This record gives sequence, structure tokens and C-alpha cells, in this order.
Amino acid sequence: MKRRDLLKGVAFAGVAGATGLGGFPGIWTGRNAAWAAGSDIPVGVLFSKTGAVAVVESTLHDACMMAIEEINDNGGINGRKIRPFVEDPASDPATFADRANRLVRRDKVVSIFGSYTSSSRQAVLPVVEGQNNLYWYPTLYEGRECSRNVMYGGAVPNQQQQDFVPWLKEKFGGRFYLLGNNYVYPREENNVARKILKGIGGEVVNEEYVPMGHDSFSSIVSKLRRDKPDVIFCTLVGDSDVAFQREYHNAGLDPKTMPVASLTRSEIEVKAIGGEAAAGHFSSAPYFMGYQSAENKKFVEAYLKKYGQDQVTHFVNEAAYSQVYQFKNAVERIGSGELKPSAIRDAAVGQRFMAPQGEIEIADNLHSYLWPKIGQWQADGQAKVLVDSKSRMAPEPYWAYEGQECTAEGLQKS
Amino acid sequence: MNKGFAIDCIGYALFAVFVVLIIPWLANYSGYDLNVYARYLVLGMAAAAVALSWGTAGILNLGQALTFGIGSYIMAMHLKLKASEAQAGGMPDFMGWTNMEELPWFWEPFQSVSFTLAAGILIPVAIASLIGGFMFRGRITGVFVAIITLSLMLAVQLWIISEQRFTGGQNGLTGLAALELFGWSVDVYGLAFYYMVAGCLLVVLTLALLFLRSKAGLVLRAIRADPERTRFFGYDVSTYEVVAFATSAGIAGIAGMLYAMILGFASPTYMGLSLSLAFVIWAAVGGRESIVAATLGGIGVNMAEGRLSDLFFDQWTLILGVIFIVVVLFLPRGLFGLVMDLRIKLESHFMANPISRMNTSLDKHRSETTASQREGK
Repeated sequence: MKRRDLLKGVAFAGVAGATGLGGFPGIWTGRNAAWAAGSDIPVGVLFSKTGAVAVVESTLHDACMMAIEEINDNGGINGRKIRPFVEDPASDPATFADRANRLVRRDKVVSIFGSYTSSSRQAVLPVVEGQNNLYWYPTLYEGRECSRNVMYGGAVPNQQQQDFVPWLKEKFGGRFYLLGNNYVYPREENNVARKILKGIGGEVVNEEYVPMGHDSFSSIVSKLRRDKPDVIFCTLVGDSDVAFQREYHNAGLDPKTMPVASLTRSEIEVKAIGGEAAAGHFSSAPYFMGYQSAENKKFVEAYLKKYGQDQVTHFVNEAAYSQVYQFKNAVERIGSGELKPSAIRDAAVGQRFMAPQGEIEIADNLHSYLWPKIGQWQADGQAKVLVDSKSRMAPEPYWAYEGQECTAEGLQKS
Repeated sequence: MNKGFAIDCIGYALFAVFVVLIIPWLANYSGYDLNVYARYLVLGMAAAAVALSWGTAGILNLGQALTFGIGSYIMAMHLKLKASEAQAGGMPDFMGWTNMEELPWFWEPFQSVSFTLAAGILIPVAIASLIGGFMFRGRITGVFVAIITLSLMLAVQLWIISEQRFTGGQNGLTGLAALELFGWSVDVYGLAFYYMVAGCLLVVLTLALLFLRSKAGLVLRAIRADPERTRFFGYDVSTYEVVAFATSAGIAGIAGMLYAMILGFASPTYMGLSLSLAFVIWAAVGGRESIVAATLGGIGVNMAEGRLSDLFFDQWTLILGVIFIVVVLFLPRGLFGLVMDLRIKLESHFMANPISRMNTSLDKHRSETTASQREGK
């Protein structure tokens, strides 16, 4: 009885203590007081370390932190160090909004680097727009967004498809089977693909969506056998992509006659699929780990050295890395001026940076000029770059929608 | 019982002071802090909804987030329509992306503020009455209620994710306008909004306490203790159960509407498994027998979560989990039970009167046995 009471007391003290901590902002953290005096540049780092998308987002976190450390080790920006405030939003949209709110209002960050999924970006949007802060989003996405508070570092549909779809048609034929998870990104990519196919005389033999996380593809494989498309145009993500590719491989389908052409598959997914099963298929992306350039060699070596030889770099964490340098260039350009998010945005536009994928540039509409590439996966898990774009491709987030254009003044309709 | 009422009143008064005076002071009257605390209050309200059906009537609703999520979608639909007024046909952007021709008929009425506010309460109530009617008239109890409510919630969540053209799918409803009430455009980062949320919470809790103090509340407690015996007394047990279940759904609906406003979007995660289980945990930590304690549980755990995630970046989820386990193991009645136990001890310590001492120890014995009976269920 005594012991039980004691334990009760301890438990209560623990809970009361933990609850009490919540009630006294500032006292327990002291973060503001400590850094306000210094001249560090506060930025938020908002990638999930736990939860459903942690596998991908933790690699974005790593690349972002590596860039911050590199910059700080080389003397910072105009003599000032970058001070990262790291949060773990645990793959939950509401937590994303809460943590972004905290970074902006309490830590007074001048920019936030963060997130992988569209839903988390849209959860953060009201916070950064309401406070006129700046969100550096490294992921490819579906387009049709034109915020003045987001720096879009990834590809939009026209950048991944304009070269890719005609190339596929020429090489394999124009009968496309569109396969994706059921959410906005695959549907939007497929809208664009349909439009391109229509223009070049291709056709869509089937358009199919499976729920998020769906991992049983035997019925789809039999449909593929029946329809015999020339190309499987694939926007499955994460576990679904891995499960589909394995099923395809086990069913003995042949990449030479019915290749999977993916917009989402990177070195991470291929690692999970296994090089053997992924070999011979294609992806379109601005960056592949196996891309040959001096900048990429340096990036990959540093990354593997820091995080382990079994790690991979891919087209989203390359952008997460580059965006920190774009931020640096913008802050440098501001010089001794007031460091506020809108000034950083304005200074970033037109900036060029020699990224691992090639020299990228931030467009008026805050998206990025990128270098689309077509890669073919090899048995060692790396992609061989078959086609490298001749020029920087402009980002057109409203490409498929006539009369709408994202400009420096926001969305214009004519 | 009268003693319990006095305790509730004192607790409630302290709580009202905490919410109205202390929190704004803690937040330095600054908008962004107040927005965070408003979020905690709303989550506390959801925990109170769980406690109302679980603690009072013994109905464990693991799908409480269903009505919470429906409330949030109803508010978000209205705010989305307002934000889309300039679009072609007044259609939300995601409908255009999914190639819809015109606004679906069931979106139309949400143009109106008053319809939206009424629907945010009445639709959850109607849904809960319907499900509750089927369940309780069929004399489904205990763990089966939990299973049914949980699976129903997950089914609706799946539907919302898959019917993207009507619901915004995985991303939910985003890019919302500000609510306009009687010409007042609500700024969710203002002191006024915080007081609006606090006012809603206090009004809801007052009404709920009055309800629980009424005869209906007494019957519900009787049902919790022994449904069969209550039925033999001639009470229509299932009707009382449906009322408690539907009331708690209505409260969750209000909380959901406020939640969508605070965060500026509605997401299918609002009716997800983890949030729904979290509601139950918060109610358990605070003490499910008292809705005020459950509300404090919701507010307290969220404050702790915010602070822990700050102090222990890598281990905060683990620490929180350990706290929950400790509470469930050693404080099955939550912090409320601990406070009650302490009070009984203090009284028996200071009171010389042997008769009252005997009574209180009897009281204590009684409360412990009912608690252990419930655990056994």
C-alpha cells in the first residue's frame, strides 16, 4: 500500500512537472534570450524525423543540415553563422502547422526549410502567408500554386514531362497506361500527360488510381497483360511504388517492351525495390545520384562521408541541399540591409547557383529553372543518365491551363 | 454527491479563471501564442466530449474524431467557398483540378454562415443519433461500441481521401478564407478570437455540467454502474445512451469547427486513428469522470507535448508514451481520481468526528470498488 502511494506520488509529480513546463514560456528554453544577443541568422528546419514519411524526410533534413554546416564552417554568410532551429513535425499536418507557427513567432526565423508532401506544405502555407515569412520547399509537386511566400525548389509537371513523354513515345510507342496513387499529385501529372499525348498523337489506354499505401498489384499486373501498353506511366509513391515494381518483376513482365516510366521514383525507392527488379525502367528528374559533374561528385562524397556509405542522394535532397545555398546567396546580396523574409525572397529571384544537377536559377514566380534528365535504372541501384536537357527549363506551374500564369505579381488570368 | 457538485463548481471556477485570465497572461497577449493556446482549448473540448460519453455513461467512443473531423470539414467547406468566390462558378480550386463541371449540390448550402454553424452541430448530432440508435437499441455495449465507432470513423476517412473531387482528398481543404460573423472578420491570431474560443468552451462545459447535474445525468451514472438494474427500474436505457452519445458528438462538432479555423485547413488526419486515440488518452489522463478534468487533461497533455518536443527533440514521443503508461497503471481514474483521493485522505486526517470518518472511508471504498469494476469491464 505504501509503495503504491509512493509510486502514485512520483507519477503525479512527473505529470505535473511535464504539464508545468508548458506553462512558462521562455524560462525553460532560454533560446530566445541566448541567441538574440548574437548576430546569428535564425532559420527553421522542418522535416519529419518520425512517422510515415520520415524515411524520405530525414534524408532531406540531413542534406539541409549538411549545407548549413558547410556554410558555417566556411565562415557563414557575411560573417554571420546560420542558426538552425530544428523541429520534428512527426508527419502530421496539424503538427506541421503548429511547429511552423512556433518557428515563426517564437524563434523569429527568417526562413523555414521544410517538408516533402503536398499536404504538409499546404498546412504550413496559412502560417507563412499570414506572417509573410518564407518557406523553402524542395520537393517536386503538382504545380497550380503561386504563393509569394514559398520558394519552390523542385520540378513542376512541365519540367518533368515536356521532354520525357515525347521521348518515351518515340522509343516505345504512344499507348500509355497511367497508374498512380489517388491524390492530387498523380491526377495533376496525368492531366498534363494527357495533354502532351494528345498533342503528339499518343493515347491513354487506361488511367488507374489506387489508394495511398496500397500494396497489392496482382490485378493491375493482369490488366497490364491484357492491355499491353507501350509505356506504364507511373506516379505511384513510396510503398505503393515499391510493391508495384516487385509485383511487376515477379510476374516476369519485360522492361524492354513495357517499361515503367516514373516521375516519382528516385534512388530511395530503387533501394527499397532492389536494383535487380528496378533495372531497365526509367525515371525523369532533374538530378540522379549517378550524374557526372564536379559539383555532384563533391556533394555525393560529402554526403556519404557524413551519413554513411549505404546512404543515397536523390532529386529531392539535392534540392534541399541547393536551397540552403540559394538562401545564402540571397542573404549575401542583401548585405547589411534589414534581414527580413520578403527581402530575402526579392534578393533570391534571378539568383543562379551551380548545383549538383547543373546551374539552376530562381524564376520570377519563385519556382526554379532546372535541368531535366532521363535516367535508366541499373542493377546496381543507380540511374544511367540517357538524356540531359540542352538548356535550363522554365518552370510553368500552370502549364496545362490556358490563360493562367504564375508571375512575380502572383497568379494572372487572361 | 452534493460534495461532488461543490468540488465540480470550485474546479470549474478555477478552470474559468485559468482560461480567461491566466492563459492570455502566459501568452503575453500575443497573437501567435494565443493561437496555440486556442488550439489546446479546442483539443481539451474534444477530450471533454469523450469524457461525457465515456466517463458518465460508460460508452467508450474510439471514433470521437469522426464527429470532430466532420465539424472541421463543415466549417472548412464554408470558408473554402468564401475563398473561391472569384473562381469560375464559385468552385473550389481542387474541383477544377479533378475536372468537375459544377459545384456539387451538397456544397451549395454551405455558402450560408448560419446554415454552416447549425450544420456543424446538428449533422454530428444526427449521425451520432443514428449510429447510437442502432447500437444501443441492439444493446451493443462495451468493447463492441468501441470497435463499431472506430471502424466507422476509418471508413469515413477512407471515403474522404478517395472522393477527392468532393473533399480535396489527402490534402484536405486548404486555402481557406477568414470567417465573417455579423460583419466581424475573424482574425484567428487575435485576442478576440482567443476569447471567442474560450467563451465557446466555457459555455459548452457549463451546459454539459448542467446536463450532468440534471436527472438525466443521474440516470446516466446509474447506467454506467449497472445498465440492467437501471432498465428494471423502468428507465429507457438506450434513449439515455443515445442522448449522451449525440451530445458528445455535438460538442466534438463544435470543437472541430473551431479547429479548422485555428489551423486554417481541414485534413483527413482530423478523423484519423491517432488523433481519436489521443482524445481518449487525454480524457483518461485528466480523469474521465469529470468533464472539466478531462478538458484540463487535453490542455495539459498538449502543453506538455509542446514543451517536451522542444526540450527533448529525439525522445519526446517516447517520454510522452511513458507518462501515459504510468498514468494508466497507477492512476486509473486520472489526475482527477488522485485529487479526490487526496481530498478524502485530508478530510479523514483532520476530522475528529468518527462517524464522518467512517462515512468517508465508506465513500472511498465505494469509489474504489466502482473504479475497479469499470476497469474489469
